[in-house]
Amino acid sequence: MSASTHAQPAQTDAGGQEAYFACRDIHAYYGESYIVQGVSFEVREGEIVALLGRNGAGKTSTLRTIARAHDPQLRSGEIWLAGQPLHRMPTHRAAQSGVQLVPEDRRIIPGITVEENLVVAQIAEPRGWSIEQIYEHFPRLAERRKQEAITMSGGEQQMLAVARALARDVKLLLLDEPYEGLAPQIVQEIESILREVKSLGITTIIVEQNAIAALELADRAVILDMGEVAYEGEANHVLDNQELRDQYLAI
Amino acid sequence: MSGDLINALFLQILTGLQLGMIYAMIALGLTLIFGTLGVVNFAHGALYLIGAYCAVIIAGKLGFLYAVILVPLILFVIGIILERGLIQYFYDRPHTDQILVTFGLAIVAEEALKWIFGANNIPYPVPSWGQGIVMLHEYVPFLSGFVVFPKWRLILILVSLVVIGALFFLLQFTRFGLVIRSGMRDAEMVRFLGINITRRFAAVFGLGALIAGIAGVFGGPITQVSPAVGMKMLVPSFLVVVIGGMGSVAGALIAAVVLGMALSFTAEYSSIQQIIIYLVAVVVLLTRPRGLMGKKGVFE
Repeated sequence: MSASTHAQPAQTDAGGQEAYFACRDIHAYYGESYIVQGVSFEVREGEIVALLGRNGAGKTSTLRTIARAHDPQLRSGEIWLAGQPLHRMPTHRAAQSGVQLVPEDRRIIPGITVEENLVVAQIAEPRGWSIEQIYEHFPRLAERRKQEAITMSGGEQQMLAVARALARDVKLLLLDEPYEGLAPQIVQEIESILREVKSLGITTIIVEQNAIAALELADRAVILDMGEVAYEGEANHVLDNQELRDQYLAI
Repeated sequence: MSGDLINALFLQILTGLQLGMIYAMIALGLTLIFGTLGVVNFAHGALYLIGAYCAVIIAGKLGFLYAVILVPLILFVIGIILERGLIQYFYDRPHTDQILVTFGLAIVAEEALKWIFGANNIPYPVPSWGQGIVMLHEYVPFLSGFVVFPKWRLILILVSLVVIGALFFLLQFTRFGLVIRSGMRDAEMVRFLGINITRRFAAVFGLGALIAGIAGVFGGPITQVSPAVGMKMLVPSFLVVVIGGMGSVAGALIAAVVLGMALSFTAEYSSIQQIIIYLVAVVVLLTRPRGLMGKKGVFE
């Protein structure tokens, strides 16, 4: 990869304060295969960042690394959230520190009801919205509370996956392909939910194949290529820049 | 149907239930440990064995009721020590490594008990209130004539049902159970929700050992107490797990009853009884390769 397109130095907040969220030169591996190759970027409090790139650029792996999943294994680099060193934590501790991953394929837990999926999210401290608050915001989930969650439609499962994250005290929301496999009409519905999440001021990183949808929601964009940050800038700028779109996003 | 036939059938079913329940108590621990930790625990028969030996000693020195209380606690602690001290280092290793280490552990336990107590059966008397027979025809209306069953075996059935019922309640109706069931389906997602599922799974290992301990206390007088009994109990219990479906609690319970009945109803034909449980396993696995209630992707 050429130096000219390499990441611009990550910007720090005005006044030189520590960023709310930062990954610094993180390297992560699936077994011996080197997937995340020195990614660095920062996110300000309340900001939404779209993490973009072609298939295999390392987007999902980067999110999973931030959430401190067992795989890919983080071998070096630092991850900081609100002053806490996520890179030193196991998965459940990172989650308790406020990272909340809404994974690809939603990962609704099978064999239990909608409500039980929400209860499981509220076992560990610190909690976010109460189940009553969630039902107020998502009446559809209230209707289906006793249904086995995995039998709901894809859109409803995605709604539950987002609600489950809000049931925790979320400081950094990681959305992995929230529109994947959903019909266009349902995508609109999920988009409006995510705009509502945005209005709550929750700091968010969104990974999405549908880059335009992600950019319309996001304040800023970080583009990954071959496991590294290739571009970082305003979301609007990427939307308007055909060269960038051709080179990294093929849209 | 003649009265004699009804009497005989009833006794066969009761015997089958008693045989099945003792395997069920061991198999439930096995299947829970497999379903949560992914470990095939060949040392589970040894836990039954340790339970039985502890029961003999404690019952002899302090009285049977002390054994009922202390042995499950001791086994729970042994289970936790085993999981934290040894088994946890094998989670990421292949199943063959896990089988080797747990099988090795079973041999060590068996040989250690042989060294301390000798290779022979040691006497484990049934407490006085559990001795004798029950006149079933006095309690069960459709039985005629004279039908009796050993009291201790009835007690074993009742204790098993209570233990299994309590386990189902724990898994189905408590928060701990909800977390365990969720973790069995998607442990990583449960971790993403902030739960230290590994610690709770360790408690499940202790719970499995505890149930094996209860089985040892009440089953000991029936299966006898000798170092070889661990393996003798493990093999059918493991078949119960496989027939029921690896990791399935309900499957293990059904399979245990099926095997118990198969053993009971072939008791008069000892050559068939020797092979009947394997025959049932073959038929079930040929028609349902994942077992009665096995889930896709488990142990494949």
